Amino acid sequence: MSDIVATPAAIPVRKPRPGMLRRLVRDRLALAAGVILLAIMIAALLAPWIAPHDPYLTTRRRMLPPVWEARGTWTYLLGTDSLGRCMLSRLLYGTRATLMVGIVATAIGGAIGMAIGFIAAFYRRFDGVLMRINDVLLSIPAILLGLALAAVIGSGLNAIIAALVVATIPTVARVTRGAALVVMAQDFMEAGRSIGLPDFTLMWRYLALNCISSVFVYLTLRFAQSILLGAVLSFLGLGAQPPAAELGMMASSGRNELFIAPHIATLPSLMIVIIVLCANILGDALRDLLDPRLRKL
Amino acid sequence: MGKHLATRMLMSVPVLLGVLLLGFLLLQLVPGDVARVIAGPTATQEVVEQIRGDLGLDRPLVVQFGLYLFRVLQGDLGYSMINNTPVVSELAEALWPTAELVIACLIWAVPVGIALGTIAAMNRGRWIDRAVIAISVIGVSTPVFFFALILMIWLGYHWQLFPFLGRAGPIWTLEGLYGIVLPALTLGLSFIGPVARMTRTSALEVMSADHVRTARAKGLKERTVVVRHVLRNALIPVITLIGLQAGFLLGGAVVTETIFSWPGVGRMAVGAILARDLPLAQGAILVLALCFIVINLIVDLTYAALDPRVKAS
Repeated sequence: MSDIVATPAAIPVRKPRPGMLRRLVRDRLALAAGVILLAIMIAALLAPWIAPHDPYLTTRRRMLPPVWEARGTWTYLLGTDSLGRCMLSRLLYGTRATLMVGIVATAIGGAIGMAIGFIAAFYRRFDGVLMRINDVLLSIPAILLGLALAAVIGSGLNAIIAALVVATIPTVARVTRGAALVVMAQDFMEAGRSIGLPDFTLMWRYLALNCISSVFVYLTLRFAQSILLGAVLSFLGLGAQPPAAELGMMASSGRNELFIAPHIATLPSLMIVIIVLCANILGDALRDLLDPRLRKL
Repeated sequence: MGKHLATRMLMSVPVLLGVLLLGFLLLQLVPGDVARVIAGPTATQEVVEQIRGDLGLDRPLVVQFGLYLFRVLQGDLGYSMINNTPVVSELAEALWPTAELVIACLIWAVPVGIALGTIAAMNRGRWIDRAVIAISVIGVSTPVFFFALILMIWLGYHWQLFPFLGRAGPIWTLEGLYGIVLPALTLGLSFIGPVARMTRTSALEVMSADHVRTARAKGLKERTVVVRHVLRNALIPVITLIGLQAGFLLGGAVVTETIFSWPGVGRMAVGAILARDLPLAQGAILVLALCFIVINLIVDLTYAALDPRVKAS
């Protein structure tokens, strides 16, 4: 199972060519996805400055519908929730929290996974042990990790991030190892070794920089996965705790008013769909451009 | 075949041990002195000490873990801290509803996914292919709870077609069958995407194989070619996918059960964790892990039965 991508020699190592960006731009859908994702990220980052209201301020104007519905007002563009808090502001802050969880988990898990993958490919004597441990980790469903960690640490964003990190490590390690093995079979690795370069230089300058692009593409897809799973765990009440704003948790708390004011639950859910969809489309497009071999993973 | 099965079962031992260790550690987090709680407030110190000795609570942790394993093997998972009922009996009641849900989901979602994937592959590059790809990408990008909320609002509340809270009875009764529609639809919607995608990729791969060209060359009808020559081979990776996605399915089941108040193991696990009922949480997580391992074993067996190449190796 772990050998799908380990077919060295046959495939030449591809580096991102200068025309890369131009080719991505030609893919309209991927471009649109990238732009939307970037816009959402910027909006989330600027939340404290652009949010029209305080996301925690409760008012007596409860469960106002969004502006396009009959009872909507321009003061609260996306309406208010069951405690009269501004949905738009909460959505901005919630997106911020959700994105943060996804980015932190992907970054930490990705870094550790990459290190493991490189070591396994470079020092073949560790390969067997590392990959067996990896297979075991890989076979534990992420949701179980989330449930178990939430039970041990207690509910909260930390438990979720920890679970997402542990879930990310083995997948990234496998992809990295696969990409690294292909590079390891190249002549320049042998050449570098024969001129007496130290292991670290070989690993970083020769190995890592040559496969980092395909690993990064995979991380984009992994980021989408992490956001989705993090939102699900938060929805279950194992993540962010009220009154904090987090998309999954917001969707969950909107369940009580689902039939009177559906927007409280559906808007945050829709936001998650948009983020994950854009990240998936972008990741798929990048992968097809950079490294079609990863298509099967 | 036997060897294949044996290796696969051996592979799942570390996972199982890991989960058991986790379950054991969870029980260590239970606050207070367990022996004192069991003995009751009026018991003398000697009685407490005796209970402590009986339960092995005065031994090193490693020995305690051994004792824990022994108890689990005997089917003793302790008592729920809230209901004071045996965890095993609570879980036994919750296991069937979860199984019902998963089966009801697979029964409709897998055929639909395979059909969509096949249609897409047969019409490669045309609009119908693009539509299927779009559906599957949107499907895998949508959190399960969103499907649930939409179905509840429309099919449940506005059109009042199906009930959406709780389980009325077993699936073979009319009310039970009626009540499982929305949960099974929810879980299935999240599963169609991956199945359709995998079927499409796999079917496209098989379609370019030599034996398919031969089949076409000897003048077989397109239908026969697709059903007999393409699908039979293309479905093998799809079955593996179901195994790989078992964890995903389990996660979906946990969410679906929680939203629809479906009395299954997943809802029990979440409820127990939120209520800090650690013995029950431990038991539920163990059972979920066991389900995952069993699904994977079944998939492996099916796989080996379908693909003679696996049997030979």
